[in-house]
Amino acid sequence: MWARRGVRAPGVRRAKRHFAVNDTRWCALAILLALGLSSCAFLLPLSWLHYLGLANLLLLIQGRYLGGRLRGLLVIFTSQLAITSLLYLLLHGLERLPEGIIAVCRILMAMIPGWWLSVACSPQRIGEVLSFCLPHKWAFVLTACFGILPYLGQETREIYQMQVMRGANIRLKSLWRPKHWRELIYCVLYPLLIQLLKLSKQMATAARLRQFGRHPKPTHWPY
Amino acid sequence: MALVRLSQIHFNFQTAAQPLFEDLNLTIAPGECHLIHGYTGCGKSTLLKLLLGILERPWEGEREIADGATLGVVMQDPNVQLLRQTLGAEVAFALENLGVASHEMLLQVRSALRRVGLYISLDTPISSLSLGQRYRLMIAAQLVLEPDLLLLDEPWAQLDDQGVQELAAVLTQLRQQGVALLIVEHHQGVFKDLVTHRWQLSQGQLQALSAQEVDTSPEQVCWRESPCWPQGSAVIDSHGFTLAFRERQKLFDAESLLLFPGEIAALVGDNGCGKSTLLKSLAGIQAGIDPLGIKVFGQRPKLGRFGADLALLHQRPSRQLFENTVIEEMQFSLKRYGLPLDRAIALLGQLGLTTLARHSPHTLSYGQQHLIALASLACLRPKLLLLDDPFAGLDAHFTDKIVALLMELSRQGTALVIASHRPIAALPVDRLWRVADGRLETLSASPQAYSRVG
Repeated sequence: MWARRGVRAPGVRRAKRHFAVNDTRWCALAILLALGLSSCAFLLPLSWLHYLGLANLLLLIQGRYLGGRLRGLLVIFTSQLAITSLLYLLLHGLERLPEGIIAVCRILMAMIPGWWLSVACSPQRIGEVLSFCLPHKWAFVLTACFGILPYLGQETREIYQMQVMRGANIRLKSLWRPKHWRELIYCVLYPLLIQLLKLSKQMATAARLRQFGRHPKPTHWPY
Repeated sequence: MALVRLSQIHFNFQTAAQPLFEDLNLTIAPGECHLIHGYTGCGKSTLLKLLLGILERPWEGEREIADGATLGVVMQDPNVQLLRQTLGAEVAFALENLGVASHEMLLQVRSALRRVGLYISLDTPISSLSLGQRYRLMIAAQLVLEPDLLLLDEPWAQLDDQGVQELAAVLTQLRQQGVALLIVEHHQGVFKDLVTHRWQLSQGQLQALSAQEVDTSPEQVCWRESPCWPQGSAVIDSHGFTLAFRERQKLFDAESLLLFPGEIAALVGDNGCGKSTLLKSLAGIQAGIDPLGIKVFGQRPKLGRFGADLALLHQRPSRQLFENTVIEEMQFSLKRYGLPLDRAIALLGQLGLTTLARHSPHTLSYGQQHLIALASLACLRPKLLLLDDPFAGLDAHFTDKIVALLMELSRQGTALVIASHRPIAALPVDRLWRVADGRLETLSASPQAYSRVG
């Protein structure tokens, strides 16, 4: 019934994903790198964006190798591209469409370093680094936010599917019409917000019951 | 010497007509195991919060905790208590908060994991653990605090039979080490070798139950006495398939799957065996799997393809509630599919919930929300209704209401697939789809049930 020492327990799936950075100093460097690259996405002139794109491509390859999923980034990029292009076409015409595409690319390049950081560094190590410059409670909240991102994605997907099956006009082909956007907010984002509020309260209670906030200088799990 | 003593506790919610606790008393000593039963919404979880000192509303009475005594808790859903991504970091969280030196943590973390029988690498991602293992991990995360009293909120509803056995073994060992236990639970027959005191929380008080008063009969399959004769074309039809996620180990093989209008199929199996994945595949919403070759209404399932003919009740169905009133919630789908709105009113009457029609669904109890979420799908009268663990956390009263509703739908011709950890004794079924050892075994009350018609 029990897993024996040194033997994989029955039912434990082999985990493909592992964190490459689990050292505090390397993690601090990774955070600085991610911050720097994300800032560059907005600050660099157009002629330098190719180099930044190349750096981001390397991050994408390494993140994918470490088990990160590209689907979320892809969905955000394509939906943003579609909406922004449409707005540029309607407001400014075809000649200014490239500006819209560049703006979307810049946003994507600002997001990729954050995605890579969440894949490459263990959240508790990020929390440890953040606690050097932020109050411990803030660092914990930021780390917890990183931790619940996959859960948030799953909840969003499930609530969306529930409401589509209940007949809500929120499928992609319906969302081309702005009159259905309100329904998306009302029957997906509103229940999601309620779930998030519940979850954050439960997590706060769970942390408090495990002595969170009791010691003025908490320590960190070193492995 | 008492570890914890509650004396003359009075408490009520502002909106409630009657007090939740009225002159409630409880004393727990080291090494005792108290099991508290009670119907949905009677205040079991509130009692745990009161014991832990985290009840936010004011209450009257006395709560005494022995000097230096520590309390640990595992909530109803251990997933919401997990704060880290790896096994070792999760257990060490409490030690971090106590300022224990990093080099001293390893020994204590390993010791706690050994006590709950988890001999797994410390950097194992929590996402790869089964629910039973997560439950034991949560206990280990409490054990590093050396608790004198461990509180457990409805473990039986969450865990499959193996998970319950594993948990019982851990709890027996902890009790022998002097740790007191308090378990709140609907099911009366569980942990019977472990319990020293048994209570029924009723009318605001704890009433002692003797072992003779307890229903310990195990849950068994209940076949429908007059089985539904297969009529019309199969709603679900497959000549065999393998359910597996891409690039991962398979969940199970199935030789054949058939379901006809009006039939009820129970899909039974342990945590993580693939029940929810199969239901989502039948609804056409499961990502990351190859097409299974299962036909639903003669077509490959796809999100939105079948409109009001197919409905799926997910786990924690209260997530789907968003309208301002119960009646608006129930009429949402009827409006979208152009069906008669008076079906909602009629169904509320049938369920005895007419008085709730103008209430906000968010102010209802857990059981009522569950029932409204199901009713909002049932009033569509779908041809196929898939339900993922619809009885989890519900007492006999709400279970009976849901069973009556499902039987009525079956009589109207709705085919039903109901997934759960173990058979539901109160619900008569025509087919049993049991997942075990990587296979889906199909059983039925009558041999005719296997023939393909139409």
